[in-house]
Amino acid sequence: MSNVWYYVFTLVFFLFDYFILAMGLNIQYGETGILNFAFIGFVAIGSYVTGALALPSSVGTGQHYIFGLGLPFPVNLLLGGVAASGFAVVVALITLRRLRTDYLAMVLISLSLVLYDVTNNFIPLFNGADGLYNVPEPFAGVLELTTNSFIPFFAAVTGAIALLLWLVMSRITRSPQGRTFRAIRDDDVVAAALGKDVFRTQLKSMLIGSFYAGIGGGLIIEFAGSFNPTAWLPGETFVVFAVIIVGGVGNNVGMLVGSLVVETLLIHLPAFLPSIPNHPGLIEYFDTVVVGVLLMAMLWFRPQGIVPERLRKASSLGGSDHALVARGSDAAAAARPAGVAAAGPKGER
Amino acid sequence: MTADPVPAPDRTTPRAALSCDGITKAFQGVRAVNGATFAVPEGLVTALIGPNGAGKTTVVNILSGSMTCDGGTERVGDAEVTNWPSHRIARLGLMRTFQLSRELGGLTVLENLLVAAPGQAGESLLNVFLRPSLVRRQERENVERALDVLDTYGLFHLRDNRASDLSGGQKKLLEISRAVMASPRILLLDEPMAGVNPALIERIGGHILDLKATGVTVLMIEHNLNVVERICDHVIVLAEGRTLATGRLGDLRENAEVVQAYLGEVIDASTHG
Ligand SMILES: Nc1ncnc2c1ncn2[C@@H]1O[C@H](COP(=O)(O)OP(=O)(O)O)[C@@H](O)[C@H]1O
Ligand SMILES: [Mg+2]
Repeated sequence: MSNVWYYVFTLVFFLFDYFILAMGLNIQYGETGILNFAFIGFVAIGSYVTGALALPSSVGTGQHYIFGLGLPFPVNLLLGGVAASGFAVVVALITLRRLRTDYLAMVLISLSLVLYDVTNNFIPLFNGADGLYNVPEPFAGVLELTTNSFIPFFAAVTGAIALLLWLVMSRITRSPQGRTFRAIRDDDVVAAALGKDVFRTQLKSMLIGSFYAGIGGGLIIEFAGSFNPTAWLPGETFVVFAVIIVGGVGNNVGMLVGSLVVETLLIHLPAFLPSIPNHPGLIEYFDTVVVGVLLMAMLWFRPQGIVPERLRKASSLGGSDHALVARGSDAAAAARPAGVAAAGPKGER
Repeated sequence: MTADPVPAPDRTTPRAALSCDGITKAFQGVRAVNGATFAVPEGLVTALIGPNGAGKTTVVNILSGSMTCDGGTERVGDAEVTNWPSHRIARLGLMRTFQLSRELGGLTVLENLLVAAPGQAGESLLNVFLRPSLVRRQERENVERALDVLDTYGLFHLRDNRASDLSGGQKKLLEISRAVMASPRILLLDEPMAGVNPALIERIGGHILDLKATGVTVLMIEHNLNVVERICDHVIVLAEGRTLATGRLGDLRENAEVVQAYLGEVIDASTHG
């Protein structure tokens, strides 16, 4: 397989992987309003746990890590997602109950830094700064894929997982539960006054979003065969925020578009461009600048993103044509006592 | 208990749907509520009046659980619910509106009502994935009812509008209709008629009387004594965080202390709108 296809399928992999990550952050921030500035930490947990579960016992590997159970794909991947969710529950129990919005965001960003420093320096956990490597290729024994055929194969697997997770997420965001998430996003005091248990609902949203983070992270280590702290600098969280803001907060399809624009075209594609003579690595340095500029431009000119959140109209919510036709404000107004009917809905002020 | 719409104050008093005793609340040392004690009679419309800064909104915040109090007790019916979280008080059938309308701005008008529908199976993800037909059927019923409520409140034609796009008066109507969607037993309204035109005041008054007719207990903060006179059965006067007097408006007008110290001020405020 030529180099071009190798690049293309690597891009396709990251397109779908960041689609998954973006859906995870979107349900937390876009739907529920939780500013999770530690998002990349949950991605990392998914990645390390997925990798460490697939690796054999660490004895004699030259690496240090916990687990080492040699579990097959996708069992390890699922457990990576579960681990990220489990950690989200712990974090939520400690922070969400007491803190709101900006304070929560500050605590989460600190958490992200602490997670990073601990993982980077505490070698017995996930091999410190070297990270995990030589993670077995999924289905290696069964399919006998070559290095070249593995990349398109795994890009396709990731695409299939992303499709499944998209169907699940659409179902959630369309449900009454999704509406309650958005009610809390818009005004948590009102939601509580309407009988919603805000903490429990936010906990659910954290749990779901972190599962997606963990799966997205697990797929990265399965794809690359390695994962180390340089892959999840705390600032990486903002790349995922850029994906959802550019794509359109609150819209699942927007997440795919955001991933295409930010992750595929701006972050990964430039790495495959021929480097500028005498300035190796210069193009990559510009990535972050370009993403930052695009983010500011979007927030200024099109804050709703490329694919804005859709309003959910009565007809899409199960209001039958009959139900809509049968009512009419004019008819109803005529039936009311004169003094009351005089005030049309547009008559105030 | 009796269903007598205008009970003599010293005779058969209806059961209290909601009551509080010695409620206190301080903000940075300032006593906003200082021992408020009163009972809201079941099935009637009660006005909570008093000068600006008397602590009326703070009392409603505390009674609805939006805020905790420093001292005192609250009861809904016979159950003590002091400092229960908002959502648990709401689930007892107590709904409140806000003095400054707080619509769920990113949702449509219809969705604002749907959020309030009680006991939705679709708020459990297990049901969403395992019992989709139950969720769909209930959703359809809730949509039907929400459309009915919107129709009653003259918001039907705005059902698909983003709630943040409504005018001030429309937002007031949305606040009330959203609370009504929750089928409350007790409704706390914080200045439902403030800043709206006379025709709309008339209309909202009609809605409140309609709610009373269906058995809802209403406690409303209101400055306009003409409105209080026409639609409220019972009045609670709050001043400096304390209950100054309770009774019928006519009786209170004869209470020299109330008139001198507070009603004059309230009447001033109401003439300024
Ligand atoms: N969140 C708050 N923080 C600080 N002070 C407050 C707060 N809410 C109300 N207050 C103060 O408490 C007093 C009573 O306010 P409020 O309950 O809004 O009165 P009312 O509704 O009767 O006009 C006022 O002095 C007000 O400034
Ligand atoms: Mg007030």
